[in-house]
Amino acid sequence: MGPRAVLQDQFTKALETHLTQGGEAALLSAYELGRTVLNERLGVLDVATLLQAALLAACQRRPRESVRTVQASADFVRECLSSFEMAHRAVREANTALRGLNELLEEQTRRISHELHDEAGQLLASVYLALDDIARDLPAPAAARVQSVKTLLDEIEVELRRLSHELRPTVLDDLGLMPALDLLAQSVSARTGLWVKIEGPRDDRFPSVVETVLYRIVQEALTNVGKHAQASAVTVVVRREARRVCCSVRDDGVGFDPGTAARSTGRGIGLIGIRERLAPLGGALSIDAAPGSGTELRVAIPL
Amino acid sequence: MTALAGVDEIRVPVESDQDIVAARQKGRALAARLGFSSSDATMVATAISELARNIVLYAGRGEMCFHLESHGADPILVIRACDNGEGIADVRQALQDGYSTSGRLGVGLPGVKRLMDEFAISSVVGRGTVVVVKKWKQQ
Repeated sequence: MGPRAVLQDQFTKALETHLTQGGEAALLSAYELGRTVLNERLGVLDVATLLQAALLAACQRRPRESVRTVQASADFVRECLSSFEMAHRAVREANTALRGLNELLEEQTRRISHELHDEAGQLLASVYLALDDIARDLPAPAAARVQSVKTLLDEIEVELRRLSHELRPTVLDDLGLMPALDLLAQSVSARTGLWVKIEGPRDDRFPSVVETVLYRIVQEALTNVGKHAQASAVTVVVRREARRVCCSVRDDGVGFDPGTAARSTGRGIGLIGIRERLAPLGGALSIDAAPGSGTELRVAIPL
Repeated sequence: MTALAGVDEIRVPVESDQDIVAARQKGRALAARLGFSSSDATMVATAISELARNIVLYAGRGEMCFHLESHGADPILVIRACDNGEGIADVRQALQDGYSTSGRLGVGLPGVKRLMDEFAISSVVGRGTVVVVKKWKQQ
């Protein structure tokens, strides 16, 4: 007998004992069986299949008492599934924690972004004033060197602004997802030469947490395209449906084999990040990719 | 509460699989007496299994006690598992998933905590462990 047949035999015998003798010992065996199945990394559907076959066998042995047999099996069925209830609650708890962690991370990012923009910007302004002050007291050649320091400071200011924006575009908070994606597209185009097209409902707003997650996913997807796809154009489409928002990112690049290439190129890491952002919102991710025919990444988040 | 009348603390010594069965039996009978739903009664039995199994596996012997409390009109089933075993050196770690050698995701002590409405644990190395869990009747 294979391991599956052994398990089936155990379920069938345990149910038979429960039906013929009753008692707590039979219920404990049912619980232990379910726990064994969980420990062996089988799923709740496997338990359902094992239980159903055991129940069918029990009914076949009592052709005239099927209804009574099913009724008498209720506690047994619950015991078999109880350890899965524990595992289910663990997953739910982990999801809640992940969601909290994502929100915390986003909040910290927002704070750092604003501090970079406001505090560091203020400091830079004071440095400019101080340099002007010094330059006034210096002979011309030295003043020219101060000017070159100011040029470097200009570059720092641009860099700070860019960093602050990439961390958390204020436009996402102020104007919403679509304007933020427009700006992201401009910045990606300028940096990589990709032609990025954004389509979606311009005056629609989604819950803040959904907008943030979609923005981060598109950001990650565009980074992936820039790094791996050798594409010339990308189209991002955001669409509101009855009870969910869908977003797709399609490129005209070389595509990849999702089964194998993902691991070797590191492309998989970005996809893991996307999945982790989606999980706490109950979102789903699918990828259409094949070598030579571009890649389309689709996500859907329930509203 | 009439359901609470006349129920003293019930004690079950635990050192074998038969004792686990006896402990589950007592817990289930009390749950039925309080009018717990079938699902809640199964969760009570599961919590008892996990706590009793820990006693048998790690301490060798111990005791499970059951009594009833009430919060206003709501009955509460209280289960206490205690042993004089080695104790748990790192209780926080013991409450994390995947710590126990006898279980995987979600089972063991963390699983019990999630099935019950209240959970408290106290353990002293070399002295033993006490776990108290409570299940409220769902109205």
